[in-house]
Amino acid sequence: MKRRSIVALSLVVVLVAAVMAATSSGATQKATASSITVWLQVDAQSGWPDLVAAANKQFQSDHPGVTVNVQYQTWGTHLQKFDTTLAGGGGPDVIEMGNTEMTKYMAAGAFAALNKSSFDNSSNWLKGLAASGAFGGKTYGVPYYAGSRVVTYRSDLYKAAGIKKLPATTAEYAADAKKLLAKNPKKGFSPVYIAGTDWYVAMGFVFDYGGGIAQQISGKWKGLLNSPKSIAGLTAYKNFYLATSRASKTTDETHPNPYDVYAQGQAASIVGPSWFTCCVGKQYTASTAQFVMPGHVKGQAMPGFLGGSDLAVPITSPNQALASDWIKDFTSTSGEKGLQAKGNIPNATNLLGSSVNERAAARSWFVPTAKHWVDVENGNILRNMLAQILTGKLSIQQAATSAGDNIASVLNQS
Amino acid sequence: MSKRRRGRRARQAGWNAVGLAISVVMVFPVFWMISTAFKPNEQIVSLNPTWLPLHPTLQHFRDAIDKPFFWTDVKNSLIVVCATVAISIVLAFLAAVALARYGFAGRKLFVVLVIGIQMLPQAGLIIPLYVVLARYHQTNALTGLTITYMTFVLPFCVWTLRGFLLGIPKELEEAAMVDGSTRLGVFIKILLPLMGPGLVATSVFAFITTWNEYIFAVVLLHDQSKQTVTVWLSYFLGSSRHTDWGALMAASTLTAVPVIVFFLMVQRRIAFGLTSGAVRG
Amino acid sequence: MHETSSNAAAGTLLGTSRRRRRFWGRALQGAVPYGLILPVLVVIGVILGYPLYWLVKLSTQRYGLFELIRHQGVGVGLDNYSSVLHDGVFWRTLLRTVVFTAVNVTLTMVIGMLLALLLVRVSMFVRILLSSGLVLVWSMPVVVAVQVWYWMTNFENGVVNYVLSHLGIGDFYQHDWYATTFSQLSIVTLLIVWGALPFVVITLYAALAQVPPDLVEAAEVDGARGWRIFVDITLPILRPILLILTSLSIIWDFGVFTQPYLLIGQSKITSGNYLMSIYLFEEGYFKSDFGRGAAISILMLLMVAVLSVAYVRKMVRIGEAP
Repeated sequence: MKRRSIVALSLVVVLVAAVMAATSSGATQKATASSITVWLQVDAQSGWPDLVAAANKQFQSDHPGVTVNVQYQTWGTHLQKFDTTLAGGGGPDVIEMGNTEMTKYMAAGAFAALNKSSFDNSSNWLKGLAASGAFGGKTYGVPYYAGSRVVTYRSDLYKAAGIKKLPATTAEYAADAKKLLAKNPKKGFSPVYIAGTDWYVAMGFVFDYGGGIAQQISGKWKGLLNSPKSIAGLTAYKNFYLATSRASKTTDETHPNPYDVYAQGQAASIVGPSWFTCCVGKQYTASTAQFVMPGHVKGQAMPGFLGGSDLAVPITSPNQALASDWIKDFTSTSGEKGLQAKGNIPNATNLLGSSVNERAAARSWFVPTAKHWVDVENGNILRNMLAQILTGKLSIQQAATSAGDNIASVLNQS
Repeated sequence: MSKRRRGRRARQAGWNAVGLAISVVMVFPVFWMISTAFKPNEQIVSLNPTWLPLHPTLQHFRDAIDKPFFWTDVKNSLIVVCATVAISIVLAFLAAVALARYGFAGRKLFVVLVIGIQMLPQAGLIIPLYVVLARYHQTNALTGLTITYMTFVLPFCVWTLRGFLLGIPKELEEAAMVDGSTRLGVFIKILLPLMGPGLVATSVFAFITTWNEYIFAVVLLHDQSKQTVTVWLSYFLGSSRHTDWGALMAASTLTAVPVIVFFLMVQRRIAFGLTSGAVRG
Repeated sequence: MHETSSNAAAGTLLGTSRRRRRFWGRALQGAVPYGLILPVLVVIGVILGYPLYWLVKLSTQRYGLFELIRHQGVGVGLDNYSSVLHDGVFWRTLLRTVVFTAVNVTLTMVIGMLLALLLVRVSMFVRILLSSGLVLVWSMPVVVAVQVWYWMTNFENGVVNYVLSHLGIGDFYQHDWYATTFSQLSIVTLLIVWGALPFVVITLYAALAQVPPDLVEAAEVDGARGWRIFVDITLPILRPILLILTSLSIIWDFGVFTQPYLLIGQSKITSGNYLMSIYLFEEGYFKSDFGRGAAISILMLLMVAVLSVAYVRKMVRIGEAP
């Protein structure tokens, strides 16, 4: 009797679980017209939650009865999650995408086409940002915000080294670095801390000399890294790096974070996003300032990588019109001004101010808008090239040629 | 004291020293995590490591707890993990008994199935699993996550419990059966108590694996109010901006607490507290 | 004894209730094992049935992001498999992963056994201390453990470099532990073994608790000493558990993903330091080539099966008792 009751008991447990499963309604219901789901990155949750709330309020007053469900995502997993919802449903109505992530998904038809003119300031959208949201003549992504690269520096160390004015060319910057090195002979001290494989900084040099990464000629991609101008840029980068940075030649710009090196007192200046000032350490906050990274020609800034995010509407959304309205409310002029106040670059030229970040954006570069560009980034092709160049494993010509060929073959995949 | 006893004492003292040294080395990373949770930010990034924070701060813990949804997500984790472990141990024990004590047609097939599932690379299963669960409305639901975890935990539990069962000599059961109990009665009255250590080790493993599981939790649970604590933890590292290391370490320390509590509750069964001599090796 | 007389009487009517009860009793007796495994089968079948079928089907299709959105793949037969098997990177990665697995499993099992034996010999206080330490290690989420290990070994201000330099072992100032593939994988091995030891040690200790003390005492009375006792008495009793732990370790270490991926860092992952699970992730899922990913998954499954078959066979035979 005992054994039978145990068998029966386990069967009952299983049956109950199955019934619960089948009837449970903790579901991802199809987003009905009573609510829309928005996926924003966690940067917004910690950086400007008030702007999100303002957009929700505006949206709800325009569409009474429709609630907004904002779900914050992390950069590491949001694409994987998005892929599963494309396959099985339950996805968002609005999604924030990094601007380098857009092209792959646009080419696959993941987004709904949007009406460009329905968004504020759309005729003045920053060129680099607008390009990332356009494909085949249609608009799929609305520029959300951007960030450029600036130099964050220790004004006290500069003063102590007798540097009277900020550099107007990279040559002057390198000369300043020599003075800083002389005054701060500590082991491992970098006058300009740049991580070896920080391709965002390195490619700035390439574009400064008129070179490029890749170019599409009648439908086929061709690598540009081994063109004479690009080689000049890479040579300039190598020389600048070896003279000014004691960072590891093979590591990237998050291992360690440049601002951590700065906070340890081991760097006089760092090149990166303008929000670096958040984390320079309590003891150095008062003596920290920023300037625009100079190019090799006087009066011209070094082109900075225009990183940023776009907002798009997945094709699987059942509420595309509502989604588009929400995006309009979030990227309205007042919304963008709010983002600007938090240190970001707003999405339109008529809104640009004169902060260091925005001045640096005057001259910017962006990655090739190709379906497979993400694969180039994930394959670390540019990083490996830089590591080979800096460690001297390969000559600049060799490394650039092989990287260029590699990039072309990846981009030309079907 | 006899010479032999003195020798034994000395030997044990020697082993104790080795044991202490190994404890220190093994636990160092955990110690580093906990001490960092109490360090003010300058000490965290400083070039010279600070071994023990002399001016500890509780700010990081406050920042961690204040991060949205902490208590909700802890509750979710506890629900999912306790349900998974409880049900899985029961079901796995039954299946392990079948494998270890019965011969039946299809036995080998079942064994192959159990092992085979553990060999599956989980990355490949994420999308189809999501599609299946979506069909039953089990995405964004704790029940869906629980069943998913059970699927991956069951094979391991069956396999391990079977091993422990095989280590128990049959004579004990046979003696009981001669005394008149039914076969399954024997299992309950005799095997279960002897399986104490095995059940505990297996359930601790199941607890820890499900407590720390991340990828299925993040893919299956969308609402932040439904997520588990490992997903909550990932938000510290997920921003493209500055990472608050102190808060992350404080948060990690907090998430480790339930695991340790669970272990302390069940560890007595593994006879760690017995004086040496009762266990021989 | 009972049975024979009723068997003899079986030729007569099966009608009497006693005989009917016995017939059903036997049938139910035979059904017991099936009933015991049924719940596990149901759970696994309901959840994994479709995904497994999907995985196999997908491995024969071209299925990228485009196809994912339209829920429709294009059948390409065995193209995915042949493309993977013709990829030199696949074979080099396989070799590297096999060596990596062998090193990890050996270290884990040997050190694990030694620590379990140590636990038996120390005093109660040290035992509780060491086992609590092991559980603390075990309870750290992998992602956090990787972060802490990265800090300890980092180039700029890692504690490990600091300690090694101060102990006079050499000048490890700003030594880059992640510069070469060998160095990278060595640190990953240390991390994995460190994280795997608690489970192995605690399980082996629990198994040692099942060694009957009277057997050991009897052997000691006969004059046997430490090593002999271990080999002749302890090991045979531990054999099932050791085989399980070894086969599980092989399976886990072959497919390990989080630790190498996060510790080496995505920006340093190249085809020169791939491990199989990272190869699967990068070539299949990062590139959104799900068909290829499915093919690699199935190949990985076959590889692991081949690697662990010796241990699994022994395990299955041990249970082939009565």
